[in-house]
Amino acid sequence: MPSEEKLSSYLNKSKLISNSNYAKKIRIAILGGFTLNGLEETMRVKCDEKKIQCTTYVSGYNQYNQEIIDEKSQLYKFSPDITFLIIDCRNVFGELFLNPYSLSAEERKQFVQTKSDEIINLAKTLVKKSNSKLIISNFSIPSYSPIGINETREEFGLHDMVRSLNQNIKIGLRLEPEIFIYDLNSFVSKFGEHNVFNYKQFFYGDIRISLDYIPYLAQELMGYVTAVLGLIKKCIVLDLDNTLWGGIIGEDGFEGIKLSDDPIGRAYAEFQNNLLALNQRGILLAINSKNNFDEAIQVIKEHPNMILKEDNFACVRINWNDKVANMKEISDELNIGLDSMVFVDDDPVNIEYVRSNLPEVMSIQMPADNCHNNASNLKSMTAIFDMLKLTDEDKARNTMYLEQRKRAEFKIQVGNLENFLKQMNISVNIKNADDFTIPRISQLTLKTNQFNLTTRRYQEEDIRKFSQDSKKIVECAQIKDKFGDNGITAAYIVNKDNEQQWTIDTFLLSCRVIGRGVEDGILSHIIEKARKDGISQVRGEYIKTEKNQPAENLFAGFGFKKEGDFWIFDTNNQFKKPKHLVIS
Amino acid sequence: MTKTLFEIVSRVMNIPMEKISDISGPNSIPDWDSFNMFVLLDEIEKEFDVKFSLEETLEIKTVGDFRKKLEGKNK
Repeated sequence: MPSEEKLSSYLNKSKLISNSNYAKKIRIAILGGFTLNGLEETMRVKCDEKKIQCTTYVSGYNQYNQEIIDEKSQLYKFSPDITFLIIDCRNVFGELFLNPYSLSAEERKQFVQTKSDEIINLAKTLVKKSNSKLIISNFSIPSYSPIGINETREEFGLHDMVRSLNQNIKIGLRLEPEIFIYDLNSFVSKFGEHNVFNYKQFFYGDIRISLDYIPYLAQELMGYVTAVLGLIKKCIVLDLDNTLWGGIIGEDGFEGIKLSDDPIGRAYAEFQNNLLALNQRGILLAINSKNNFDEAIQVIKEHPNMILKEDNFACVRINWNDKVANMKEISDELNIGLDSMVFVDDDPVNIEYVRSNLPEVMSIQMPADNCHNNASNLKSMTAIFDMLKLTDEDKARNTMYLEQRKRAEFKIQVGNLENFLKQMNISVNIKNADDFTIPRISQLTLKTNQFNLTTRRYQEEDIRKFSQDSKKIVECAQIKDKFGDNGITAAYIVNKDNEQQWTIDTFLLSCRVIGRGVEDGILSHIIEKARKDGISQVRGEYIKTEKNQPAENLFAGFGFKKEGDFWIFDTNNQFKKPKHLVIS
Repeated sequence: MTKTLFEIVSRVMNIPMEKISDISGPNSIPDWDSFNMFVLLDEIEKEFDVKFSLEETLEIKTVGDFRKKLEGKNK
């Protein structure tokens, strides 16, 4: 659950909203059966944040009946696009709310029937007399009962009355095309009656939704505003590693990723189940992942605990291309605007990169260290996919796109990676092998599969021996960016063969820092070092494995020339040192 | 404490700090209506981790009243 700002902060912001002329406009009316101050201000701020020009009308305190019945009321003069009618049990039941058992069970049934009919009529009247959509709240079932533990034994007791009221209204209004019921009862149970209803605020100012929860209520009601304006999200584009499953397929392997019946695996399974439910109601799923295609698709196709199957994904981009380019391709292929897409990734860098290049995409970062949040985050996210109607066509949409996917092929476009990297403030801090770094260097050689030129595995004692050898350079790099410290995520070992030549024995980068030019920065650092020592050529090899495709073009891209098994760089040659990095 | 109190009043009532004194209240602060008074009360309760009873709340008419009540609670 994303936490909300304080109401007072919305109140202040609402005073600062300028009369901007946004293309999207909405007129919102709020009719309340009690004090709802602050709701209007919060909604205006939330609209402004979404670049929606919002005009509001708030009816007088508890005037909703008159406003709706009187054709000449201010409400109808205002001519809202959308009206929120928020009332509670005290409005409907009056004193009977505290004393329902003054009536017999039969009388109580009759009472509820009468009140249900009144509310249904009121709602129908409003949409008949206006062009407004109506959102009417249902009723929170109180935890209180005047007869305590006997409530559950009573025929048509207080709680049954409220339940029945909710049910009647639902049945009575369900098929009205312009009327939607807002489930206030769920809102109250989500946050807890004791939090949402505060007696002091109630007695002081007839506030029945406490100040702390007004912003949360506004957030939920915003779902209707965006839906009316057609600002809906249609597609979730997902990363794979540490998003759909725990761990990294390229490092941990098919057997090693966490997707089985263990605590972490269960969190991802739940997340996948939530996604599946969204998919079944017509939200498209797509994949945008940096991985070796064969390896990742194998998990999707064959892993026994994958909930989502290949056919749940309308579009798949598993490659080493730029994530922004992939997003654009997915948007083209599915023919869905980028503003209808949500991008979910665990890596803050990817999120920021997509956000800065494609601000219209809603980018959501999944916390990798606390994966159970994934599922709960997504549940609160489902509101952004809310449409006011759910048709069979929506449900069938996925099949439609799936067919399209199987036909289409697309070319690659590249986002503005260079600009993005400049803003990343990447620093590469080169460190010697010492007591602190030796265990990490060894661990990197043992674990790194993807960006690893030679995949030579070294134990701690090997690295320690190398570091004492004057004929070898053993170093690593700590990489920081504006999001924080990635730790020691690169390492290399260079053999000083003779007076003329050095050979790169090992060169690797943790997958966390791939694709940011760090590799070129470290290579230029090595070349400069060689120059200083009067070495004329530096050579290296790329030993192909099933997994190290990401490192394949490192030497060619930097300007090394292939000679036999080795790639050779003449240190007199010019090279392009990446400008966006600080190397120290 | 007074500074924090004035800061909250300034934020909630949308008024510069230098215009706030003990006698500030509904007469001198345009935004001080019954609802904003309640928002203010809520923020002060949270900031100072205190609770005002309904009776106490009704006795508060000015910023100075808030200050005195807070001092009373901190003893």
